[in-house]
Parts: sequence; C-alpha cells; structure tokens
Amino acid sequence: MTAVADPALADAGLALADATPGSVFAASVLQTGFFAGLAEFLRPSNLAGVLVNGLAKSALFVMIAAGLSLIFGLLGVLNFAHGSLTMIGAYLGGLVMVVLVGGATGAWARLGYFLVALVVVFAALAVLGLVVEVGLIRQLYDSPPIYQILLTFGVTLVLEELVRIVVSFYGLQPISDWQEALGTKPAFLARQTTLGPVTVRGLALFEILLGALTVVGIWLFLTRTRYGLFIRAGSEDDEMAAALGIDVRRVFTVVFALGSALAGIAGALLMWDPVWGASVPLAAETLLPAFVVVIIGGLGTFRGTVVGAVIVGMADAVTTWWFVNVVTWTWLPEVTVFLILVGMLVVRPQGLYGVEEVGGH
Amino acid sequence: MSRHQVRVLVVLALAAYPALYHLLTQSPVGVEAETLLPRMDTMVALLYFGLFAVSFDFISGYTGYLSFGHAAFYGTGAYFVVLVANGKIPLVPSGTPFMITLLCAGLVAALLAVGIGLVSFRLSGVYFAMITLGFAQVLYVFVRGLEWISSNPRDGASVSGSTHPEGFEVGVPFVDGLNLAIGPLSGDTVTLLGHTLGTNAVSFYLVGAVVLACYLAMQRIIHSPFGQVMVAIRDNEERAEAIGYDTFRYKMGAFVTSGFFAGVAGGLFAGFRRSVTPENTFYFLVTGDALLASIIGGFGTLAGPIFGHFFDESIREFLSPAGQGGGLLPYLQTRLSEGVLSAEVGGLTVEGFIEAALNGHASLYVGIVFVLFVLYVPNGLVGAARDRLGGPVTEKLPDRLWDR
Repeated sequence: MTAVADPALADAGLALADATPGSVFAASVLQTGFFAGLAEFLRPSNLAGVLVNGLAKSALFVMIAAGLSLIFGLLGVLNFAHGSLTMIGAYLGGLVMVVLVGGATGAWARLGYFLVALVVVFAALAVLGLVVEVGLIRQLYDSPPIYQILLTFGVTLVLEELVRIVVSFYGLQPISDWQEALGTKPAFLARQTTLGPVTVRGLALFEILLGALTVVGIWLFLTRTRYGLFIRAGSEDDEMAAALGIDVRRVFTVVFALGSALAGIAGALLMWDPVWGASVPLAAETLLPAFVVVIIGGLGTFRGTVVGAVIVGMADAVTTWWFVNVVTWTWLPEVTVFLILVGMLVVRPQGLYGVEEVGGH
Repeated sequence: MSRHQVRVLVVLALAAYPALYHLLTQSPVGVEAETLLPRMDTMVALLYFGLFAVSFDFISGYTGYLSFGHAAFYGTGAYFVVLVANGKIPLVPSGTPFMITLLCAGLVAALLAVGIGLVSFRLSGVYFAMITLGFAQVLYVFVRGLEWISSNPRDGASVSGSTHPEGFEVGVPFVDGLNLAIGPLSGDTVTLLGHTLGTNAVSFYLVGAVVLACYLAMQRIIHSPFGQVMVAIRDNEERAEAIGYDTFRYKMGAFVTSGFFAGVAGGLFAGFRRSVTPENTFYFLVTGDALLASIIGGFGTLAGPIFGHFFDESIREFLSPAGQGGGLLPYLQTRLSEGVLSAEVGGLTVEGFIEAALNGHASLYVGIVFVLFVLYVPNGLVGAARDRLGGPVTEKLPDRLWDR
C-alpha cells in the first residue's frame, strides 16, 4: 500500500531526491541532512501538499474502516473478511464501470456511472454480508470470540480464492491492478489540479469529498434515525437493548450487511486510485490499515474510527513525503503506522475513545 | 506404557513413509500413488512447518492467547540461518555447524519473544492478537526494505554459493562422520543395503529427528506442572491468579518457549530450502497457515497441528498447478482419453474446468473445510477423537483396540 510513492508527492518535492540508494541506516539520510529536509518539509507549499494528501488518505482509511468499526462495536466480531469484501467491491465496481463506460463517454457521464456503480456495489455487498451473517456468523455468537475471528478468517480464504478463480477465468492477472478499471476515471480526476499554492491530484479531492460524505452519512444514520438508536443502544449493552424490546439479532444482521456494503463502496473508490487498484492482494492491503485505524480509535466507537483514520492518514502522508524526498527507507510509512498501533496499545489499550469492557478485554 | 504405543506407531508410520512412497510409486498402482501421496520434499516441508504449527498451538491453544504474529519468530529463525551462512552476523561465522546455528536461531527468536511478550502480555483477547500481529507486520515491512539483508530484500535472501556452498548438516557438531547434509539439491544421499536414499528422503529423516526432539520437549513441558498452569490460564486466568500463580511469568515462559521452537522451525526451513522470502516467513498469512493446521488438526492438542498441516499440504499438492509433480490433472491426462478431457459441458471442457476451478486453487477447498471445522468440529481431528474416546487419544486408543 503505502510503499508506493505517491506521484503528487514526488512532484511536490524539490530536487532533494538525489539520494544514494543502497545505503543503510545512518547513511540513508541525504547529504543535505535532516535539518535541510525539515526546512524543505516546512515550506508552505510542501506542507499544504502533504496536508491534502493526508486528508485524502484519511478519507480512504475511514471508508475502509467504518464498516469494520460498526460491526465490531455491535457484534463484537473482529471481521477478518472485511478486506476481502473491500476487494470484491473493487472488482464489482470496476466491472460496472468497464461495462458502462466507453471510450467516448464524457467526464460527467463517467461520474454519473460511478454513482450507479456505488449503488450496485452497496446492494450486492449488503446481500453478501447478509448471507455470511445469517449463514455462518450467527451460529457462533455464543462461542468464545476467538472462534469468530477464525470463522471470518476462513471466509476470507474462500472469498479470495473464488475471486481469483473468476478473475483469472476472464483472463485478468489476479495479483496486478485492473488497468481497464483504472482507465474509466473521468479525465479531470486523473489530472493534477492547482489549488492556490499547491498542486494536487484531482482524485485526492474526490476522495476527500466522498470520505466526508460517508462520515456525515453514517453520523446522521447513527444519531438521527431510529435504527441508529438501536445500534448505539446495542453497542452499549445488547442484553439491555434486547430487554427493552429491540430485536437485537435483527439489528446484528442489518449492521453486518451495512458494514459489508460500506467495505464494498470503499473498494469501488479504491478501484480508481492507482496507488491501490482492484486486485486480489487489495484484501490484505486494506485489512491491516483498517485494523490499525479501528484499534487506534477504540474498538466500537465511530468517532474514534474517524479520528484514528485522520491520525493514520496524516502519519502516512508525512512519512511518505520524507521517504520520497529525504530518506531512502522504503519501510518508513508502513513501519510508522504500525508503531503508532503498538504505541497506542501499550499506552491506552482501549484506544482513544474506547471503553475498557468492549471486546472482552 | 500403553500410551506410548500410539506415538511410536505414528513415528514408525512416518519413518516408513519414504520406503512406502518408493515402493508404491514403482508398483502397478504407481500413477495412483503418485497422484495421492505427497512427494518427499512436501513431506519435509510438512515436518518443519508442522513444528512451527505445533509451536503456535503451544502458546495459542494451551494458554488461549492467540499469537497472531507468530510468523515473526519463524521468520527470525529462517533469516538468521541464511544471514549466518552469508557471514552477515557478527560472532557467528559462516562455517558454524548448522546444529549450533539452529540453536542460536531458536535463541534469537526466543529473545525477540521476550521483547514482544513484555509489551503484549499487558493485553489480552483480541488486543493481544492484534499487537502481536502489529509487531510481526513491522518486522515484515522492515525485512522487506532493509538492504543489509540482500541486494533485493523484497525478494528475500538466499544462501550465497561463495560463502556457504556446502549443504547444512544435521548431526553431532564437530564430528564429521555423524553429520549429513539436508536440502533437495545440496543434501547427502545414503546407500544402505544396496538401496540409495535420495536427498529428500535423507533430509526427511534428519529434519524429522530434530522435529521429533522438539516435539517431545514441548510435550514434556505441557505435561509438567508448568504446562498445567498454562491450561489453567486458558480455562480461567483470574482463578489461576487467585490461587497464587504469577500468571504473567507463566505466560512469558510459554511464549518464549514457543518462540524458541518457532525459530528452530524457521531455521530448518531455511536450511532445507536455502532461500527465504518475506512472504513465506514474516507475512501474516504464514501464521494463518499455522492457524489452519491447528484448527483442522485440533486446537490445544500438541500433535493435532501436524495432522492438520498434513491435510492442508496433501490437498494443496493434489490440486497443485499442472506440471508440479503428482496431482489431479497429470493423473487425468494419463488416464482419461482425449475425448473425455475435451468433452464440452456448457462451453467448458473438462480439462478447462479442472484448470480453472481446481488447479492451484486448493485454498478454496481448504478454506471451506476450515470453515466447516470451525462451525461443526471446533476441537479439530485430534480433539474430536479425544472427545469420542473420552480421554487423550494416546491413552484411550490402545484400550479400544486391544483390550476389548
């Protein structure tokens, strides 16, 4: 995921990139040194570029992790199949786009078709989630939580291999990004856009927009609708909610379907992003950051997930800038993200906004 | 002594496998045998990876702490052996006898387990699984990017022919006559009574000896008072603590022991294969394979993971992509006529169907079996047999077979 250099970042950086690859540790810092790099980093145009990219990444992370967070919060199931659902969403979204979009399709029509793709993916993944919950997970609510992890892990294996079979049957390479789907982007999203002092990818702005809409949508759903009330009640104390006459099992099913659908639309968005793209390994690539985001924010709080996504997204963008422009440590962004996870678990295991009891801790 | 009978039988059955495989593949049912039986190098993989799965089960199945980053120890052991052979580790020169390197590999992994355990055991449940996974992923990314390891760390590292051309020898260190090299290419062959054992068969016995020793050691620990406390922690940690056991120390002890054996397993893997990649050592799906083996074989039974992994490997090899040893497609190609293979059902030939839906897609079927096991046989093969017999299989099975 993050090890791939962001093209926009490479553009934003100056000619500092004459690093000597092949060097190790201390020698990896450029001749210009740490402080020159810092000065460069603090220039307003670079800082603004990093900020926009960080927000775009945060938006992606929040979309990837929102469903996982909802499901864990209510059902207490850490869904290992979440990444696979995202991956299926990416392929499905790509399929809709490739079928609908021709070479002559205009930019706005493409955007319209993308909305169609989002609806299709949302519906299809919701049905898939429904089937998985009713058919499999429902049988294990009374087992130790470890068995739910194991079950969803098995579901991942099956789903990934099924996708691999289908995708290779139609002559696509399962491990590389689906180029044809990438090509269905409207031209104005693929271009670099100049916004005041900074140059950013159009797609980054689109991602921020979609991420913000998703957050607002979930927020309104949770706080302003009756079903959202049920979900919040169930997350806090499902036995009490059941005692008050809420059909908690049905709420469980709805939330699992909803979470799966959210994973799917995140995938549909990633399908357009050249850094991610629709491929089978996308499942693992998205699953791990999603875990990190949800755990940093606190299992079972949506607010925590949003804040966690912003933290991870920003850390990722900043370290990616440093890796592209100052140091040659390819591992820097990913290691930073996981070090944040480890640090958070040590200092505050329940996460930023988590409650201690959630998750059988 | 009856409880040893079953164990001895299992070990004997494994020991007879190379001869059996040789005989059956030469016999009239040779093609069938080659199709169904795992090849010898797969059997070696079964042993070292089985040891890793057992070490995973040792901590996860017996204390109930799911060590989802266990691949970190396997990878550490594997990379350590390769780096020692390439002369990259100070104080341990390239010519160090493999048995000593192996021991060091285990110790380094154990040291890592101390570090990870000190932090991780402050947590429990899902959080413990996630933090260990986090550590393993950090190491995975790190190893992928560290150019000190090899010129292209993303593709892993292999034992260099210039610093360590000879095979890794298992045996008594410093006694030349009591050592034999392992490896499919660089290993030794042995001629006994006019029969020549190939490199894979020799490796099978040597790796098997190390694995057996490790297994017996872990078995001893599980059946010691220390192991009883581990089980007590799994069943009810608060009670174990209330009785007066310092559970943190027991958990650390179990984790470090488990890390040691995982490191040895990784070392054996590297010694046999002579090359390692981040994907087949540190990646979280490596832990996933151990998990698979443990669940199918029996979570919380020491021998279970080996059987579980045997099942996994057999299916994978049976459905391996065409051209890789025995398997379903080569068998059908030799046995069925061209007409049957190219018969079309709904626009899809039989051969095409096997190629598209079966070959190389063993994960699908293993995954389905895994899901069914989680749902319906949560104790796995050995655990289910234990429930059926009303006690440990090694104790109850002989009674069933001979006394009644």
